[in-house]
Amino acid sequence: MTNHWNDLQNTDCALIMGGNPAENHPISFRWLTKAKERGAKLISVDPRFTRTSAKADLYGQLRSGTDIAFLGGMIKYALDNELYHKEYVAHYTNASFILKEDYDFNDGLFSGYDEATRSYDKTKWAFETNEDGTPKEDKTLKHPRSVFQLMKKHYDRYDVDTVISVTGTNKEDYVKICEAFCSTGQVGKSGTIMYAMGTTQHTVGTQNVRAFGIIQLLLGNIGLPGGGINAMRGESNVQGSTDFGLLFGDLPGYVGAPKAIPEHATLAGYNEKETPPSGYWSNKPKFMVSMLKAWYGPNARKKNDFCYEYLPKGNKNYSHINLFNAMYKGEIEGAFLFGTNPVVGGPNAGKEKEALGNLKWLVAADLWETESSAFWQKEAGSDPSTIDTEVFFLPAASSYEKEGSVSNSSRWMQYRWKAIDPKGESLADLEIIHMLMKNIKELYKNEKTAIAKPVNALYWNYGKGHHPDIDLVCKEINGYDLKTKKLLPGFAALMDDGSTSCGNWIYSGFYPEEGKNRAKNRDNKDTGGGNYLNWAFAWPANRRILYNRASADLNGKPWSKEKAVIWWDASQKLWVGNDVPDFVPAKSPKDPGGDNPFIMTKDGVAGIFAGNLNDGPLPEHYEPFESPVTNAFSSQEINPAVQIIEGEFNLKGNSKEFPIVATTYRVSEHWQSGSMTRNQEWLSELVGHMYIEISEELAKEKGIKNKDKVIVSSARGEIEAYAMVTKRFKPYTIQGQKVHHIGMPWHFGFKGFATGDTANRLTPHVGDANSTIPEYKAFLCNVRRAD
Amino acid sequence: MVEINLNRRQFLKLTGATAATLAVVELGFNEKEVHATSKEFKIAKTNVTPTICAFCGVGCGILVHTDDKTVVYTEGDPDSPVNEGTLCSKGTTIRQVYTSEKRVTKPMYRAPGSDKWVEKDWDWMYKTISQRVKETRDKSFVVEENGIQVNKTEAIASLGGAALDNEETYLLAKMMRGLGVTYLEHQARI
Amino acid sequence: MATEYVKYVDVTKCDGCRACMVACKNWNDLPAEPQDFLGTMQSHANVSADTWNVLTFVEHENSEGKLDYLFRHSSCYHCTDAACEKVCPENAISYTDFGTVVIDQDTCVGCGYCVQNCPFDVISLKTYKDKNGDEYRKAHKCTMCTDRLEEGLQPACVTTCHTEAMEFGEKEAMIKKAEKRVQEIKDRYPNANVYNPKGVGGTHTIYVLTEKPSVYGMPENPKVPTSAVLWKDYAQPIGKAMVGGVAMALAGAFVANKFFDKKNNQENRDGGGSHE
Repeated sequence: MTNHWNDLQNTDCALIMGGNPAENHPISFRWLTKAKERGAKLISVDPRFTRTSAKADLYGQLRSGTDIAFLGGMIKYALDNELYHKEYVAHYTNASFILKEDYDFNDGLFSGYDEATRSYDKTKWAFETNEDGTPKEDKTLKHPRSVFQLMKKHYDRYDVDTVISVTGTNKEDYVKICEAFCSTGQVGKSGTIMYAMGTTQHTVGTQNVRAFGIIQLLLGNIGLPGGGINAMRGESNVQGSTDFGLLFGDLPGYVGAPKAIPEHATLAGYNEKETPPSGYWSNKPKFMVSMLKAWYGPNARKKNDFCYEYLPKGNKNYSHINLFNAMYKGEIEGAFLFGTNPVVGGPNAGKEKEALGNLKWLVAADLWETESSAFWQKEAGSDPSTIDTEVFFLPAASSYEKEGSVSNSSRWMQYRWKAIDPKGESLADLEIIHMLMKNIKELYKNEKTAIAKPVNALYWNYGKGHHPDIDLVCKEINGYDLKTKKLLPGFAALMDDGSTSCGNWIYSGFYPEEGKNRAKNRDNKDTGGGNYLNWAFAWPANRRILYNRASADLNGKPWSKEKAVIWWDASQKLWVGNDVPDFVPAKSPKDPGGDNPFIMTKDGVAGIFAGNLNDGPLPEHYEPFESPVTNAFSSQEINPAVQIIEGEFNLKGNSKEFPIVATTYRVSEHWQSGSMTRNQEWLSELVGHMYIEISEELAKEKGIKNKDKVIVSSARGEIEAYAMVTKRFKPYTIQGQKVHHIGMPWHFGFKGFATGDTANRLTPHVGDANSTIPEYKAFLCNVRRAD
Repeated sequence: MVEINLNRRQFLKLTGATAATLAVVELGFNEKEVHATSKEFKIAKTNVTPTICAFCGVGCGILVHTDDKTVVYTEGDPDSPVNEGTLCSKGTTIRQVYTSEKRVTKPMYRAPGSDKWVEKDWDWMYKTISQRVKETRDKSFVVEENGIQVNKTEAIASLGGAALDNEETYLLAKMMRGLGVTYLEHQARI
Repeated sequence: MATEYVKYVDVTKCDGCRACMVACKNWNDLPAEPQDFLGTMQSHANVSADTWNVLTFVEHENSEGKLDYLFRHSSCYHCTDAACEKVCPENAISYTDFGTVVIDQDTCVGCGYCVQNCPFDVISLKTYKDKNGDEYRKAHKCTMCTDRLEEGLQPACVTTCHTEAMEFGEKEAMIKKAEKRVQEIKDRYPNANVYNPKGVGGTHTIYVLTEKPSVYGMPENPKVPTSAVLWKDYAQPIGKAMVGGVAMALAGAFVANKFFDKKNNQENRDGGGSHE
């Protein structure tokens, strides 16, 4: 989230799209309800009328996978009706930058496309530059090759009639929604966009979010209270586990993991290639070296590149789909599952279950026996005698049987105290990880081989007992001044010469002095604007609204009194206000760069045009991997930069055999793969059965009555479920033809109190062009009565 | 330890309204308890510990009420500005994360070809898993590739972590990358 | 006399999360009751001895043809003039100073008259076995967490409600609030109304509804059955004087079957399926 949960109360209009917060983030509705009482409008855009839609002022029905068409039309609406915030767009975004002649877009393809590799040469999307390397600009936005004009041209094709013929939205509803949300472009108003996996789990997922970005920048909604782009995170610490580098591509603090490329062979080479000349990321070498000091301790020295060489350097995309493809092919021998359940939660889950059987060993740390740790059992449809995988089940303590912090979607790092000892012999994951590493180090300690060296060099010193001293871990994350041995006050103090250590730079400052872990802060007085600066700690630097410099105009004065966050106080020569400034505190608006609010970017402005993505610098509509119709916008059917795995690992269905669009989702009463909730009786009784939601019209066509058992099939498999015949799904009219759409929860499996077939048996193994997030949310299926 | 203000939960002014009829209904999972005629106020003597909800990313504050044996009640933390004492159905139920009979409370091992779990002690688990990690790692480790020090193993994968604490994710990332694991993935994508 | 309190339920703010259902089970230590699939998001067709409140889900196309998805927290209404209290032969049911209606479990003999006579169908019997294996029954329903009220706390369901769709407060203030709220939402919901039925002397759970009560599966004009009034005010005292308590209970069973025809008081009360 750029903003935070409490800040939702400050909005004038919330566009909820690709998310269903009333069901999946219910407490957000506490704050949305308060906004509503102030007169705010809520908009719900969803394939199905959800509990969120029920509370919304406006509902737009949207065929799953057509978000960019919907949003592209909204961009056009804002431009055509001049509802955008002109000064903000001209000065705070790259709309004024001039593109080189190389940039082009034609029939669904941007310039630089190579069909053989399904990839783009991104150098074709570069800006014209001045002699000092800065981009050429036209602040009037009239230059025909300015980002603004090329964007306008790009979305000129997204007229209302074409849009709704693709999305299936009612025209009147669509126009009302555009009107309502674009009204937040007025000074004194702000609009928020709230989304979740309904946005990202598409082959165009990243570009869906980019489209949100363009709209919010056009309307001047970034950096304002009640504004922003707010990703509602689905797990209590998926924010933290991403921040701490548990995705292959990033080290802690979003410092890119080095790759097996010549430029990354040395630390100097890595710094040279990965450090931009300007913007806050120009400090990257400090973050990297300080992290290496935290990881390798005294072994990390200047003369050995701070052990940089020991960081693993990969040469491919190691994300979920590819991981399971490699496992399926027998390339992976052992795996750890820490509280995760891919046999229910993974795409094409039947294949993921089969893949687990190719492992030599599997370690699962969990509270429950999950469908994944039990994949070899008869209940899973397996023949145990033919599965040679050794499985180690490590019973883990629950969240309140141990202590530690989690980071919510607001980036608030909040502490959890220990309420009771771990149940039975279960142990905190902290202890499990610690003891595993200690045991592994013990096996290597007398070896001097090149293979042993990285393990021996890793600094692992968290106290004597079995249970690590969590305070030592916290302090290592925060970082030390290694000369004085004192804790660091924040990331501004980091150095690249080995004199500081810091496990994760974005969290630096949460533990600024002995005994002062700010995640434990519990002063709940509102410090202004609903930002609660003394409750917990928000990264970075306890900042609650990111990019808040953009809430003020070029001269440092809030655009409006109603939406003020920080402002320049000329007498103090400081930025002051209700939040920690997202800006150099003493840099005046008149200083060079003083009116460039986006300090993380190279040019100090936000990117309406993003030349670094794999699938194009502007979002363009493509149909999902499986679609019932052809693309109305171009002859490119699917995202041309998506990598497709051919063969039995990822079978593709056609619309003749599988004419119905399907999507998956969650319900309020269950969580993710259900292992946490289907093992609890009170939640199991609330939603106790696997079901699909199906329109009255489709039910009639198929002879299905409410509560009937049905079979849902896709190219990947079949599942059984109950039919919930509902008015909340309606057939779509897409390009003049009737298209049916169904939906289903993906929480079910064969373990726990509430059991049922797994929806992900149906979903495909294809991912987004940038994130490789699987396309769970739009695929083709068919439905029939079970008898 | 953390201080919390329990009086904040008090809402009604106690105007001497004594119990007209003490109608505390005694039910419960344990049939024997049904026969008890009255009971003490449920949370009169509990220890109260604040925590943050284990489910979605909203991060609601929860108070966990425990006695010396178990968790007797869970409710929203009225001091948390995120949820101000309220919760959804999942957060409210978090008590059963502890009390559920389905919790696995002992380390278990499943041998190749076997159709059942066997209980093992922690020490055996740590030692055996560490050996497996070492065998696989040593066999698959790539020190150098095209003249570059790559120090990686592509034969071990680590998945998950979105339900762990920050300190745990930090140690997990450090451990896995320290071992050279490149197949490092958690639930952000799924 | 202490202040009378009312649970105020504004269905327009409820987002259907069902925390109220779980909070009730959590506070009152009630077991789960797995149900068959009902064909809607609703989990239980009605409240029961182990499930004292149920969130009802109704898909309703309004007069403009627009789809509304209606959620309602449904539990004991705690009538001012409670039929259950009137018919209980053992005087196990009584009013508290808060205005809530409670069943004393020690006194309840499980005869079921209260169940038969409740105009809202919110009381249920549960069968238990004693040490000798003999069966006996007790009547159960929402207590409005009277034990919490006595300690100065709100009912568990109200405490957990994040949208403040439920509030617990002084009766007059809550009624005023409901009336004001109805005025605020009339534009969007022309049929909006306050539900605080006169036929039972008003209730201690009052609702702001967007549609007429029957749309939500609620009786339009619930009344204390005449037979219940007769029973309480005439037959029971006379009967007790004549034959004593135990015999009275037996006689009661006869009377109940004979006169208290629950069906006559029934209106559309199945809030669950719109697709039966």
